[in-house]
Amino acid sequence: MKFLRQVLTVAVKDIRAELRTKEAINASLAFALMILLLFSYTFDPEQEMMRQVSGGLLWIVFAFAGTLTLNRSFARELPNDCLDALIAAPIPGSALFLGKCLASFLLVLAVELISLPVFGIFYRVHWTLQFPWLLVVLLLGTWALTIIGTIFSALTVNIRLREVMLPMLTYPILMPALMSAMRLTTSLVNGQPIPEDDFAWLKMLIGFDVVFTAVSLALIETVLVG
Amino acid sequence: MSAVAVEGVWKYYGDYPALRNIQLEATEGACLALIGRNGAGKTTLLRAIAGFSLAQRGKIKIFGKEPREAETRRLMGFIGHGISVYDELSALENLTLFGKLYGLPDPDRSAREWLERTGLERVRNGLVREFSRGMRQRLAVARAFLHEPSVLLLDEPFTALDDRAIAVLQRLLREALAARKTIVMSTHQLREALELATHVALLTRGQLTFHGERTQEMVDDPGYVYARYGEGA
Amino acid sequence: MLHSLFDASVWTSLAAAAAAAVSSILFLRSRNFLYDSLALAVTEIGLILIAAGIVAGAVAGRLGGGPWWSWDARLTSALVGFLIYAPYLMLRRAIEEPTRRAASAAVVSIFAIFDLPIMTLAVNWWLAHHAASAPIGVEWTVLPVAALAAALSWIRLRREQDRRARDAERRAAQEI
Repeated sequence: MKFLRQVLTVAVKDIRAELRTKEAINASLAFALMILLLFSYTFDPEQEMMRQVSGGLLWIVFAFAGTLTLNRSFARELPNDCLDALIAAPIPGSALFLGKCLASFLLVLAVELISLPVFGIFYRVHWTLQFPWLLVVLLLGTWALTIIGTIFSALTVNIRLREVMLPMLTYPILMPALMSAMRLTTSLVNGQPIPEDDFAWLKMLIGFDVVFTAVSLALIETVLVG
Repeated sequence: MSAVAVEGVWKYYGDYPALRNIQLEATEGACLALIGRNGAGKTTLLRAIAGFSLAQRGKIKIFGKEPREAETRRLMGFIGHGISVYDELSALENLTLFGKLYGLPDPDRSAREWLERTGLERVRNGLVREFSRGMRQRLAVARAFLHEPSVLLLDEPFTALDDRAIAVLQRLLREALAARKTIVMSTHQLREALELATHVALLTRGQLTFHGERTQEMVDDPGYVYARYGEGA
Repeated sequence: MLHSLFDASVWTSLAAAAAAAVSSILFLRSRNFLYDSLALAVTEIGLILIAAGIVAGAVAGRLGGGPWWSWDARLTSALVGFLIYAPYLMLRRAIEEPTRRAASAAVVSIFAIFDLPIMTLAVNWWLAHHAASAPIGVEWTVLPVAALAAALSWIRLRREQDRRARDAERRAAQEI
């Protein structure tokens, strides 16, 4: 219980700070809309091919726009040396980490949920038909993005070229999760249920989330204190 | 059992020893002034005591326990080079946040109490980014004292403070010492620190070249310790 | 021949990745920099090897009458594997302080080894509809390639140890 309260305290702090400045969320949203617009030059919404790439496109938008938010996760602790105070506080590193994950998760999810209707309007896809399942995939995929992005945000917080290193580390490791999410989303966003064969991808996504949440929690103290 | 015990500590940056065989302790109620030139290792030692980094050799004990244990962290307050409060939050929000993180029973009340003790009561809802420098520093002090730590670790706390902030800090430190708290303070401002100190330790290039009680000689002539025990001595 | 060289490079790189992960864990437990140097050495050699293998595999495909990149599951997995480990070297370059560098790199290495099997499975599922790839065989070429990799890793390890010793001297000299 105490642990949960500590996680929520950190999460609320991050979200409150972000909503005051709105730096990351504005940039993230603008970026997402920009990519969606740019891609519409490439694809004719009427074409069948559009349906096939829709899942992939959506997750490229989410992953790239999401990184803008994830980068801020630990970077926001740098001014005034706030990270010192958080590490010195008697909360477990895992509580600090999960609190930040939760905050980033909600912020990234917000951008995704705003982008989805825009995507639907631009590309005329019936994303509401399978919304419950689509939401499940969104939550699982976003958690994968968040967990990897946050742990590497902590890892790269103090280094040179942080903005370059974070995506370089995150995207390759994230590939299996992105592939799963893209595959599942393609059917769902077009109003089709998940094909029988594709349930394996759902399991992979869940497995990815479980494994890397565990690995991150195991290594967070090392990442924070060295 | 001493409040702070540093036993045979070596700290390396890679293969380079930043701290060499540091052996010192501070008993409960002592105020240890850690002095030394820039680069001597004062900040490194303080941060190691605070648990921000691990010493490769030797042990650090706070009341006999590891610095990183949760219970021990609750006993320590740290002021580093930065103020460690959030610009985007208000003074009250900042202190309430740390109150919650430190598990205080009534974070809001403790926050208000410390805002008053540091003279920030009237600006409690102001965002820190709008504060003057002196106000920011007083808030940093409030943050460090908020959870009534038994051990205070201060890294050059008097540097670049305005007069009001210096007065507040000196008052709070005297009160802390009267309540038998332990203070380890690194400093360049020898005069303010030596007035409060009960003990002095001099670091020269990562090594402890002097460790003993503060004498009247030191207060009268702060440069004395450097001349007697520093390099070129 | 090129095909078997590709196969050999895959096996050897996998061994290198495993060695790097074990070394990284040992470093985090013992803080002995020998393990950090070892992890660096095998990762570097493993990366060079898999890169060479990917080129060999692509060339083999082309010479066999196919395209440069046939989206074969094995070749693609190898490429993603390369992309997973390349940032390890980039990260090391971006961190000055040796202990922080070693610890951070060790963390990346551990993440990478957990990702490898998941990634390989994902790529295989994704490309399953392409011509079913024969599983990677073990042929005699593995031995010379592995021996070469081990020798190169040893040399790289010694060079890294020397570099660290010189670095320590330089820092010590700077005090004066």
